[in-house]
Order: sequence, then structure tokens, then C-alpha cells
Amino acid sequence: MQTDMNLVRIDLFLETIGAIIAFAISHYANSAFKTTGQKRLSDLSTGFLVLSVSMFGRVIGTLYFFVLSVSGETASALTMRGAVIIAVEMLRIMSYILFAISTRRGVKEYENTSQLAILLAIPGLVSPTLEMVAIIVLLVVVLQSIMNYLSNRSRYALYVLLGFFFLLLSHIFLIFALDPTRGYLLSQIFQFLGLIALLFMLIKAGR
Amino acid sequence: MRILVDMMRAIQGEGDEGAGPTKILYAANLSHDRLTQYLEELVEKELVIEREQSSEGRAYHLTEKGRAFLEEFVRIERFSEAFGIEV
Repeated sequence: MQTDMNLVRIDLFLETIGAIIAFAISHYANSAFKTTGQKRLSDLSTGFLVLSVSMFGRVIGTLYFFVLSVSGETASALTMRGAVIIAVEMLRIMSYILFAISTRRGVKEYENTSQLAILLAIPGLVSPTLEMVAIIVLLVVVLQSIMNYLSNRSRYALYVLLGFFFLLLSHIFLIFALDPTRGYLLSQIFQFLGLIALLFMLIKAGR
Repeated sequence: MRILVDMMRAIQGEGDEGAGPTKILYAANLSHDRLTQYLEELVEKELVIEREQSSEGRAYHLTEKGRAFLEEFVRIERFSEAFGIEV
């Protein structure tokens, strides 16, 4: 049990690094938006910013949960944990929706903003199985990335495809793993690998 | 933005000699009025400079700032295209 706990605490380290990577990508996408005025870069930047906030939120929430648990406030800790899980998952789904919108193919600007508003409201409308929603939205993002890679065959597009594919795998492992602890760890590792692939793209494209 | 970059690339393509208005006009596929307007914008932003060539009239050259901007734009293009975003 102690070993499991130690292994699971690796997730805080991976999550923190991942949040920093997501923030770096958000920052670059935002500066690209300022240079070009391309609205979809702004959506992409917001998506990575929201993802970064959700990851930092998860780290801080988990640490706070431990503090409450150690101080004997078990009921408060459990309430807190539930609130953090829902908030983090909703933010994550919002970020994936923004990825899906910004990486849509063949659209230069979206026609109206009401579509975005409806999509962003989805996490609030669905039931506890937020992970399934995340998987469905990420599936759309991955399909769009595949189409983008097939059309331009650039290695940068391949890194993005790998990044989103690993993020999708991270959610699949979390939900379908037979052993929850191992599933959780695999999920964290794939999430980390996904963000590393995106960081690779950022570094290579910046050369 | 894309038009300005096309114009700057046309100027860059002419090397040290610089590019005359006609070459830029054809490269960026612009009307004369718009060409003048965009060239003024590029000069104002200090991305290109205008020089008088004794034989061929005016010629435009990229400044250091213009070269740096084009390099940065290439990076932005790679980044954006990786996500399927056209700039």
C-alpha cells in the first residue's frame, strides 16, 4: 500500500512538469496570435492555458487534501477532493474542446461564437462520467490531427498527433485499467509523454 | 499579415539589390494603390527601407528588424501548421 502511495505521488511531479509545458505552449501560441492575428491561435493558447491551470489545480488540490487528511479533517478532505476532481476534469474537457475548435480543418474563423459557448457548457451538463466526455472530445482532436498530418506530412504535425494521441491514451488507461493504481500511473505517464511530444514540437519548430 | 510577409519575401528573394515596386506588386498580387499603402506600412514599421537606385528608380531592402521578423514568422508558420492552423 505504501509502495502504491509512493508510486502515485510521482504523478504530482509529472503533473507539475506537464503543467509548465502546457503553459509554455500557451505562451508561444499567444505570441503567435499577437503577431498574426489568427483567432484560432488564440483559442489554442487558451486551451493550453486552461489545461495548465487544471494540472496545477490538481497538484495543489492533492497537496491540500493531504494536509486536511493529516490534520484529521477527513470529512472536509473528502469533500474537497470531490470538488477538485470535478473542477479539474471540467477544466480539462474545456481545454480539449478548445483544441478541437482550434484544430478544425478547412475553417479560417468560426462563423459565430454561440457554437463555442454551447460546447463549453457541455461539461456542466453531463454526469459524473466526465472521463468519457474527455475521451470523446480527444478522439475528435486526434482525428483532426491525423487528417492534418496526412495532408501536410510534416514532422511537426506528427509530434502534435503523437501528443494528442498520448493524451487520449492517458484517459483510456484511467478509465479502462483493471488495476486502478497501475491504470492511474500509466495514465500519468502517457499524459506526460503527450506533453513531452508537444514540447518537442515547440522546440523543433522554434529552431 | 500574409500580404506583408509575401511582400517581404519578394524583397528578400532579390537579395542585396533589393526589389523594385513592380516585382513586389507581381509577387504579392496587389493593385498599385494597395501596394503603395502596404509599402508605406512596412517602411513605417521599419521592416523595409526605401533606397533610390540611379538606374532603376526606387528599390526596397529588408532591414535587420525585417529579417528577424521573417525568421520569427517562419517559426510561427511551422508551429501553426503543426496544429492545422493557417496563418
